[in-house]
Amino acid sequence: MHELGIANSILEAVKTELQPHPGARPVRIAVTVGALSGVDRDSLAFCFEAIVKGTPFELLALDLKEAAADELQLTCLELEEPTP
Amino acid sequence: MSTTTTKVPLERKVLSENDRLAAELRAEFARHGIRCLNLISSPGSGKTALLERTLGAFDPAMRVAVLTGDIQTDADARRLERYGFPVRQITTAGACHLDARMVAKALEGWDLAQLDLLFIENVGNLVCPTSYDLGEVAKVVLLSVAEGEEKPLKYPGIFFKSKLMVLTKIDLLPYVPFRLDDAIANARAIQPDIEILRVSNTTGEGLETWMEWLRRPA
Repeated sequence: MHELGIANSILEAVKTELQPHPGARPVRIAVTVGALSGVDRDSLAFCFEAIVKGTPFELLALDLKEAAADELQLTCLELEEPTP
Repeated sequence: MSTTTTKVPLERKVLSENDRLAAELRAEFARHGIRCLNLISSPGSGKTALLERTLGAFDPAMRVAVLTGDIQTDADARRLERYGFPVRQITTAGACHLDARMVAKALEGWDLAQLDLLFIENVGNLVCPTSYDLGEVAKVVLLSVAEGEEKPLKYPGIFFKSKLMVLTKIDLLPYVPFRLDDAIANARAIQPDIEILRVSNTTGEGLETWMEWLRRPA
């Protein structure tokens, strides 16, 4: 039910992490979701797809991994950066 | 133009902004010696009824306040403000949980130096409120015997994170197929350290142990 809010928080975090990488295109964001986090991975994937559709983040892949306990964490952001 | 792929390792909670605000609230509560409890349950498990009983039993000099969250209406605030203590309704207008920002906003204008105990009655929902820290010292989960003893297994997140489980509506036990021992075993299977109380807001049974729990130092 609150996965839409979680999806928005992930997207906001990606935007923040992109700031030091001008010109970079985000390719993949990895997020660990604990079994006790209260977050459903399928529903989160669905919500994320819905909010990035038609935006510059449309091709950003959300990579959800199972984790222990109530973990809900961003672990890795993959970028394509222009080679100078 | 060619591109290179960079992997940026992150160690950042998804809800870090909420957690940051919650940490500020927690520090503020600690500074004023306020014990803040976050009450969570399904809709209709008796959060408001328990608070009515609790406020009704307090001495009028007790320094207690309530924030009560609902998706719509201020019905709960109106039920609770009859007891003479400060009560504020948080109407989330669709959101299924309270977050730290809503709590911070709802506290604006209250003199926290005048409070010792703050109840936050979350939106009735066993799932979403689990993820959002509100700066509380403890989460309290309510489970009514009119629900089912398997609920701790079906919704493990909230039972895992709660310090206390209050089994409510125990006056209904003779009329419902609820197996009390199984409910307790299920909750302890998820959270071995969870404390458990049994109350009836209708008959008042067990309320004294709840009031005692509230008086006990955190």
